[in-house]
Amino acid sequence: MNRKVTKVLGLAMAAAMTVMTGCGNSAPAAVSDTTDNSTDNAVVSEASADQGETRKIGVLVADVSGEEALGFRNYYEKYIQNNYNVTFDYTDALASAEDEKAAIEKFASKGYDAVISLSSSDRAQQIETCEEYGIYYAVASGVLDESQYETYKTYEHFVGQVGPSNETEFEAGKEMGKYFKDKGVKSVAIYGAFIPNPMHVYRAAGVIAGLGDTYGGTDDMNGMIGQIFQDQGVDLTKVSGDVEVVAYLQGYGDTTTDELNAAIQKAPEAFISVGMATTFFAQTLSQENIPFSDIDSFTAMNSESMKNGSLEYLAGKYSSSIGPVFALVMDAINGNVIRDPEGNAVSFTQGYLVATDAESFDKYYVNDNGDTPIFDKASLDGIIGQDVTYDDVKALIESK
Amino acid sequence: MNIKKIINRQNIIALLPMAALAVLFLVFCTVVNAKGYRLDMYLKIVFNEALVLAIVATGATFIYTLGTFDISLGASTLFSATLGVMVYNRTENIALMMAVILLTGIVCSLLNSVLASIFHIPAFVTTVAMMSVLSAVSAQIITVNGGALGGISIPSSVVKPFDNMPFKIATLLLFFAVSVFVFEFTKAGRRMKFVGGNPLCAYLTGIKADKYTILAFVMAGIGIGLGAFLTLVYTPSVTTTTASSIGMNIFIAIVFGGMPISGGARSRIYAALVGGFSYMLLNDILEIVIDSSAAYGITQVISAVFFLIVVYITGMNYKTALLPR
Repeated sequence: MNRKVTKVLGLAMAAAMTVMTGCGNSAPAAVSDTTDNSTDNAVVSEASADQGETRKIGVLVADVSGEEALGFRNYYEKYIQNNYNVTFDYTDALASAEDEKAAIEKFASKGYDAVISLSSSDRAQQIETCEEYGIYYAVASGVLDESQYETYKTYEHFVGQVGPSNETEFEAGKEMGKYFKDKGVKSVAIYGAFIPNPMHVYRAAGVIAGLGDTYGGTDDMNGMIGQIFQDQGVDLTKVSGDVEVVAYLQGYGDTTTDELNAAIQKAPEAFISVGMATTFFAQTLSQENIPFSDIDSFTAMNSESMKNGSLEYLAGKYSSSIGPVFALVMDAINGNVIRDPEGNAVSFTQGYLVATDAESFDKYYVNDNGDTPIFDKASLDGIIGQDVTYDDVKALIESK
Repeated sequence: MNIKKIINRQNIIALLPMAALAVLFLVFCTVVNAKGYRLDMYLKIVFNEALVLAIVATGATFIYTLGTFDISLGASTLFSATLGVMVYNRTENIALMMAVILLTGIVCSLLNSVLASIFHIPAFVTTVAMMSVLSAVSAQIITVNGGALGGISIPSSVVKPFDNMPFKIATLLLFFAVSVFVFEFTKAGRRMKFVGGNPLCAYLTGIKADKYTILAFVMAGIGIGLGAFLTLVYTPSVTTTTASSIGMNIFIAIVFGGMPISGGARSRIYAALVGGFSYMLLNDILEIVIDSSAAYGITQVISAVFFLIVVYITGMNYKTALLPR
């Protein structure tokens, strides 16, 4: 008898969940004065036109511990939040496309106005979900694949993207490789970070090209990246050229300790990283006095590695480089959705700045630090407003 | 303590997972309302989050009943979804895609059981190996075909007709009903519990454990196939991280639902359903209540504490000298 009661209760609870889920709205949304009651697609952002209202922006993040990610977060939460009537809500580290979609749906149910994406498991799905729920969406790190951009550039709630293109990533890697080749380095170790992450694939291909080497017999960008995707890493047997790549490793820092030690044993003259080495390996490489390079951000920790460690080359972005995306999103929330001359979502490419010594590093770091970021309130105010145009935003981004 | 008191205590403890689900549900509704969030939308999110977990875990309950476990369920789900996407992109045939997904789930699971039954390798060992193989093969397919996009996908319009609550609820209930029938009302279900509770005794009674191991893995395979399809319905793309959290979440969900880790006669087919929804509700409550910027991972720490408490309380049921009844 009791077992039956148990089963019935269990089923009843599960049924209650499903029935409640299937029912209509049982509570008012935080911002729910929309008249569209045909679907769940609460047009949360369009309902809040009052300029004095605190805007709520959700931020999708996959990396929560990297130097660049921390710099970005610091800028939004400490600088932007203090200077504008806006709150940012960061997700935990999103591991998959399902996590990203659930996070956007949660932002929608909380009545958020917009979503800024620093996560790239499935950007197409992110855009479609935001469109479905009527939330403005922008990409703040990297850009969409060209075919994806073509597909989604006319979506009403897709505000745009500001970040390095895949070609820019390749060039950043190439410049880094060329730097060491020009120095006369004859052997290097390469850290591929999170390949097959596309950004890291492009950078790694660029590094090999910059070293003057070929991969699988080619130094053409598309030829190289196709093979690296297929190999899911850099296959050292395919690398040939004057500069020898004596070791290659990829993956999270704590899972590559043995490989790092093995790479160090091969005595490379330089350690070239396409991302995250400053977070994972800075201390070890500095202790071993191996010159290393990375593509990251101008942060305090990297400044320390450049001054007192062996970090020799850093291609980075300002932590405030995500300022223009915030401005575009604020404009959209306030009713001024900025479009490019063809009427599509805007797409701006940002390049990398390179520091090769403490002096040049400080120039970028100090200029973009704390209360005086490169994209400060004064400059952002110039592109936040009802009369702001595409050309205004373009001019500001290109000026920095 | 007399037998009646022990039985009463056992019954009360057996009811605790349902009571916990009810309490969590009420707390969830209260918290969401208090914050001014959309309850209907949030319930839908929880349902979607728990759906795949509940279905795959319900299938996995058969394996757990035998006193073993399968750590490759997440990888099998990923592999099934990957093949499904590949088949659709080549044939544009949704029915074929669904068939391939379901068959792949069953075949992956059967392979585990065959290795365990024929070569007498402990099932958890074969599943560890299978997890590595399936993850690696899936990653290879995804990266080779996905290229710079980082994943493979089908057009969302293909699965849109299935992305609605009635279909999802019906799928869940249908699979659950079949599982209940097999588990509670067939000789096979009863014998699985017997094998899980005391393999030697079952063997001496003439029960062939291998046969029921294969059946248990087939049920788990059906769960994997359905889970993979519903994963695609939710997000019609597959990346190397798709379904990555399922393996461990299944274990947590089943224990949350009051299932003994050792399997056997006290195994409960509804544990996965109750536990899956409880676990997701708990996670979402913590996520809403605790500011994520306060400390990353704090919700996981609290979930872990809840998990230990649940295991301790449900474990009280097994510490008596009384035989299961």
